[in-house]
Parts: sequence; structure tokens; C-alpha cells
Amino acid sequence: MEAKKTKKQSINIASGAITWKAIKKQKELVLLSIPFVAYVLLFCYVPLLGWIMAFQNYKPGLGFLHSKFIGLDKFKFLFVDNPDFLRVIRNTLAMGVINLVLSFAFAIAFALILNEVVHKAPKKFVQTVSYLPHFLSMIIVCGILQDVLSIDHGIVNEILVKLHVLKEPINFLTYKSLFWWIVGFTNVWKETGWNSIIYIAAITAINPDLYDSAAIDGAGRFRKMWHITLPGIKPTIFILLLINIGNVLNAGFEIQYLLTNGMVQSVSQTIDIYVLKFGISQCDYSLGTAAGIFKSVVSIILIFLANSAAKAAGEERLF
Amino acid sequence: MKKQIFAVLSSAAIISSLLAGCGGNSSQSGASSSASSSASASSEGSKQIKEFTAFFDRQGSELNQDNEIQQIIAEKIGAKCKETWLTGQTAEEAVGMYIASGEYPDFMNWTPQLQEAGALVAIDEYLDKYPNIKNFWSESQWNSLRQADGHIYSIPQFGKINIKAMDTQQNGEAFWIQTRVLKWANYPKVESLDQLFDLLEKYYAANPTMPDGSSVIPFEILAYDWYYFCLENPPQFLDGYPNNGRCIVDPKTYLVSDYNITPTAKRYFKKLNEEYKKGIIDPEFMTMNHDQFLEKIASGRVLCMVEQHWDFATAEDSIKSQKLEGCTYVPLGITIEPGMKEMYYVSGESATLSGGLSITKSCKDVEGALKFVNDLLDPEIVTLRSWGVEGKDYLVDENGLFYRTDEMRENAVNADYKASHLCSYSYFPNYGGMNPDGKNAATPDTQPSEFFNGLRPEVQECLTAYGAKTYVEMLDNNVIDGKDQPWYPMWSFVGTMTSETPGGLAWTKMEETKKQYLPQVVVANDFEKEWSTYLEAYKKCKPEDFFAEVQEAVYNRIKLVWGKDVRPKS
Repeated sequence: MEAKKTKKQSINIASGAITWKAIKKQKELVLLSIPFVAYVLLFCYVPLLGWIMAFQNYKPGLGFLHSKFIGLDKFKFLFVDNPDFLRVIRNTLAMGVINLVLSFAFAIAFALILNEVVHKAPKKFVQTVSYLPHFLSMIIVCGILQDVLSIDHGIVNEILVKLHVLKEPINFLTYKSLFWWIVGFTNVWKETGWNSIIYIAAITAINPDLYDSAAIDGAGRFRKMWHITLPGIKPTIFILLLINIGNVLNAGFEIQYLLTNGMVQSVSQTIDIYVLKFGISQCDYSLGTAAGIFKSVVSIILIFLANSAAKAAGEERLF
Repeated sequence: MKKQIFAVLSSAAIISSLLAGCGGNSSQSGASSSASSSASASSEGSKQIKEFTAFFDRQGSELNQDNEIQQIIAEKIGAKCKETWLTGQTAEEAVGMYIASGEYPDFMNWTPQLQEAGALVAIDEYLDKYPNIKNFWSESQWNSLRQADGHIYSIPQFGKINIKAMDTQQNGEAFWIQTRVLKWANYPKVESLDQLFDLLEKYYAANPTMPDGSSVIPFEILAYDWYYFCLENPPQFLDGYPNNGRCIVDPKTYLVSDYNITPTAKRYFKKLNEEYKKGIIDPEFMTMNHDQFLEKIASGRVLCMVEQHWDFATAEDSIKSQKLEGCTYVPLGITIEPGMKEMYYVSGESATLSGGLSITKSCKDVEGALKFVNDLLDPEIVTLRSWGVEGKDYLVDENGLFYRTDEMRENAVNADYKASHLCSYSYFPNYGGMNPDGKNAATPDTQPSEFFNGLRPEVQECLTAYGAKTYVEMLDNNVIDGKDQPWYPMWSFVGTMTSETPGGLAWTKMEETKKQYLPQVVVANDFEKEWSTYLEAYKKCKPEDFFAEVQEAVYNRIKLVWGKDVRPKS
């Protein structure tokens, strides 16, 4: 303490150069950040050492040290020898994009609509009810879904038959053409309420004066929505979009895993399921790791692309 | 001040307990720590009980913590085992998870993946110390279990026939049909696939609903995970071959052939396709998982299916305890044409074995574990495992024969009673045939006097109508002596293949393809088109690679048992 008081040097941090002096000056901050850096190193970077498996013919009995190096053979197996994996990538991307678009559209629309409800009590009620499915685990959601879509007196079949849309009940989960949409709309059902929270919060931060002045200019509800609310939450939308684009390949595991069956497996398998199937079930850890690496690399590329697109458009961005 | 002291003390306690946990893992844990403390405990007169853990990659029901017979056995032999079973995942995933974590329960079912991961302990050097285990299989059977390194890593649990075969129940595969269907048609002769579906259609037209109003499912197909054998392997039986499981082996030429592409296979799937269109087959069969399947069976709605009895036995027990009239099953030996010889039921001990119970390297007390298995084969314990407690689960007549009262029989199929009282350690080595006492059968279900009396009246009536006294007599009686057909059953070899070899990889792909296309073939609008699409996809998997390796294995097994090479000279 004594020394610090006497030294009173001003260090120009903005210059960007990290000097010992700067570090000494901020030693409390540095100390405070050590646990977090250690956390990230330990749990996010050290496990990356496992990537070495992708370039070995890894056998748990031999370990890293004694397993044979095979170069890029596993990647070759994925992309050249095995047409399955390309189909798996297609499925993952398709479901990821469907999920992204649907979840954005529905969450924003829901937030806008809810914002128009004037009475507090029904608004709170609707909002709370809409969150609830988020807290159900996927296995329960899939159980509900199987009952709802069941050919054996499931409610969807009953309604469609009564409305004469269908002649007789059909087994929805066996149609390849429907699978992606079933997954997408299940996610909408489960997550719309939860995803809209952040938009509703952003909407409340919009200056109410804007609405009043728009009303004086003769703007109706839809004009206000279009010209004030949406632009008001645009930065939020962009940031979330950027974050979620990196997640496109995380199109899900549980729902596809739980709903799949032999007849739709060609459209239901995602990269995660593929990794589980080869990496864990067949004990080909190397192949599983290779598929995982591919997924990470694509995700990073997607994030960078989206970020620079946002930068070019002059919108909010991550970095 | 007081609060502070309390806080310090409690945090010290937490930390020390954490450290104790760590220490236990690295230096001494589980069985060994309890073993070392047993010295002090036994001086007080009470015997310390070793606790082992086991995981079996099968569906099973866990016993209650305070299961009575488990406790009795534990007190007698000084050890018990907590068994866990598959929950939710597939068998391969569960085992893969264990391998990925590197920590295992003490006992597991042998799989080639565990072997390759170096997770198992070789037991051949210990065998001489444990006579019950050693004598469980013969010298040549043990030799057939040797892995590439010359050691033995597993003890096959099933298929041991003590003294003589006593089978009353067809444990394996058959077309199972509810007795009410046969009774309704006045017990007709049902031999071929066409006759069977003809009967089901007529019965269904006359009785479309259950008494409670729910609809009847005339024919069910289980197509989930590896249980999809119910869909894919009947063509071998329909042609009159036994369950080699993955192929047909000609007993004269020793040549392996593929049952997936025989004319019979096509006829069978075409028939399923026709019946599906008529609404005879459950429209949900391709999306149903194993639990949903058992639930449907237990509801009594399913008239007929292809299954192996051990797999739906629990559901049938539930039918029995609900007393659903006429809803229990009898086996039919269906063939593609009437009047053919069929081989659904086969008795005889295999000469070559594979798989079984293994001890993992996580087991800290291998000798203790082997002693546990050895003690489980003790005559007294064997009886406890299979029959239960004398006076409570069975009675003994003046000739020393065991019998049960109606109440005891009902208890034995009651799920609650089974969890709280019975403990069969079913995935530890089991005797088939006779009890070690040489008088009784190994299990109550196989005791001739006990068996028939224990049947529900509807089953007694049905069996009598067909002139049978047991389930097995509903089928043709076949004996395959392991010495004559050393390759039988080939599925035990295929279970040891991994995707490392071309044949193993082909097999993985063949399974994938069959799982995907066979349900489609069954539900197809245009059968011929879908069938040829399937055949095309199937050919792309290179099944010839798979069958070449299987053929090689047949020759190897023959050589192992007969000591001669029967490969054709080229």
C-alpha cells in the first residue's frame, strides 16, 4: 500500500502494450481474474488435447501414448468413404436453420403481440403459462408429442379426421417429409415463451415518448410496431442472431434421438447422434472425435461469417 | 462466537469427508476396504458382508434394497451384489459410456468392446481354485472361450444343462398366439404363415375389441433397437432352420448362406405387407420402443407376434396377475408351407461358447468376486435363487419333490413380490435342466408335476387340445448336440465381431439398412418396388464380406472341436 501511494505513476493502458508496470498496477484485477482464466483453461482448452484422438486409431486399452497415428484417415472415412456423414450434415443444417428461423420468428412475434396487451393481469398470466414448457425435460415433451401425434386416438389425428383433412389417421412420425417440421414446431412450443423474455425486456426499455409522438402523428398499432418497437429491439435481435448462428449445428440431440425410428433415420440423424453412435456405441472414439472437430470448425466459421456480415451492414456485432 | 466455531467445524467435516472420498478411490475402495474392516467386525460376532456391483446390458428389474432372499444369501456366503440394468439407452451406448469413463462396476456382461478396451480381468489362472465355476463348463468349452491372447475373460451364464434337459417352456423364438384365438377356432391345426394370418383375420373380424372397449392388435412386430430380430429373422425359421441367428448353416456341407434374400424371405415380407394393408398389423410397430411394446403385451390386446419368450415373460406375468382371460400365449412352429419340419425349439449344450459374465479391472477384489460366483453355484444357494425359501415359496413332499400352492405361484409372478423377496441373480451362471439335488428341476417352471398344475386353466385346456403337456411339446422337438454341430449357434460368433474388420463393418451397415428398409417394405404401397430398393441398398453393404468371415468362423469352430480342417480344398 505504501509503495503504491508513493509511486503514483500514470500508465497509459489505452496504448495497448502490456507492460510489467501495468500488470503491477492492476495486480488485484489480475488476481481476481485468475480463477476464471484457470476455469476456462481447465474446462475449455485442456479437453481439446483429446482432439489428438481424431488423428490416431485410438484404443482405450492403449491410451494416447501407444495408439497408432493414422493421419487423416478418419476424416477420409467421414467425407469420402461414407456417404452417410454428408447426409447427417444435411440433416443437422436443415433442422438447425428451421429451428433458428422458427424460434426467432415466433419469439419476436409473440413478444410484439404480448406487448400490445394492455391489461396487466392477463399479460402476466399468458407470459407465465408460455414459459412453463421450457422447464419440461425433452423426454417428457417427446412423450407428450408421441401421444398427441399417435395414430391410436391421438388428438391431432382425431381433429384432422373430424375436419375431413385426413381420410384416416396416419402415423406422423414415420413420414420423412414431416420429421424436420415436427422437430421445429416442438421447439417452438417448448421455447417460444422463454425466448421472448429478452425481447419483452428490450421492448420495455424503449422510450414511451416515441409512441406518444407517433400517436400524435397519426400512427396506428401496426405502424407503431413496425416503426418503433421493431427498430427498438433490432440491436437485441442481431446480437441473439449472431450468437445463435454459431449454434446452428447444435440442432439438437435429445428430440431427434427420442423421436427417431428406422423409417425416418435417414432424415433424423444429427451430427451429435452420429458421434454417439460411432464414438460411444461402436467405440470408435477417433471417428467420433473427427466428427466433433468438424462440427466445431464449421461453427467457428459460421460465427465469423455472420459477424463480418453484421460489421459490413453496420449492425451490432460480437467482436 | 458459537456460530463461528460451528461454521469452522462443519466446513472441516465437509472437507475431510471429501478427502476421504478421494482417498478411497485411489488407495482402497469398495470391497477391499470393507474386507479389511471385516476383521474387526467379525471379532464382534457379526460377519461383514462384501458388496459387489454389476451392470448388465439388458432390460431388467432392479431388486429392492432390502430384498429378503438377497439378504439370506448374503448372510450365508458373506457377499451380495447390487445389479443394475439398462435404463433408456441402448446396450452399446451404455457399455460405451463405461469405457469412455474408464470406471466399471465389478461385474459386466462380456462384449468385444470391453475386451478391446482392456477393461476385463483374465480369470483362467484362478479357475482351479473355484471348483463350482471350473466344473460348470467342460475343458473344451472353456478352451473355446480363449481370446487372442490365450486367456479366458468370461463365464457364460446360460445354456448349461445339468444332468438332462427338462425344458417345459420354449424360451426362444416362436410365433406366440393367445389361447383365446385358438379356442375360438376350436383348436385348429395351424402350421403355415397363410393359415396363421387367415385365423387372425377371422378372429379379429369377430372380436375387434377387448372387454374394456380398447381395440385388439391382431399382430405385433417389435422393431426397436436390437430386438428387431422379431422382424428380420423369421425367414430362417420359416424355412425350417434353427436359430443360428445371422445366417443359415448347412449341416452337411458346412456352407453358410443368407436368409435375408431367400424366396421365403420375400414371401414372408410380402405377406406382412398384405396384412399391414388389411389393418392386421399394429400401425405403430415401427415407432414403438421396447417399453411401449411390453406395455401393449401386458394389456392383453396383442393376439400374436414373433418373439423370444424370455423377452416378454415379464409382460406375460402381468397378464397372469391381472387374470386377463385367454390372453396368455402358446408357441406355434409356423413354417412357410404346411407340413414342414421346423426347428424353433432346440435343446443341447453348445460345444463352443462366447461371452458371459466378466470381472472388470475396476474390481478391487477379484478373488472375492470369483468366490461370490462360485458360492452362488452352491447347491443350497442355487435352490434359493431358483426356487426361493422353503415353506414360503415352495413345499417339499415326502419324496423330496418340490411343489407350490396357488398362492405361491401367484406370488412368483407378482412384480412387487419379486422385487422385495425373490433374488435369482439371473445374469450370474445358472443351471438349466435339473437342480443339483438330482431330484427336482432347476426352476419351478420346469418341474414336470409343478409345471402343468401351475398353468392357467385356459393354457391347460389349450395344451391338452393339442395333445401337449408342455409348451415345448407344441413344437417339434430338436436336439443339436454341440459335438455334431460345433458351430451352433453362430450368433454367438457374430456378437464378437467389431467394425474393425471388413465383415464387421459390413454387418453394421447391413443392420442399419435392414432397420431402415424392412419397416418400409412392410408398410409400402408398392411392395415390389420397395423390395427391390431394399435389395439394392442391402447389396451395397457388401454382405459377402460378412458371410466370408462367418464361413471362416464355422470352419474354425469345427476345427476346434473335431480337430480337423473341413475347408474345401481349392
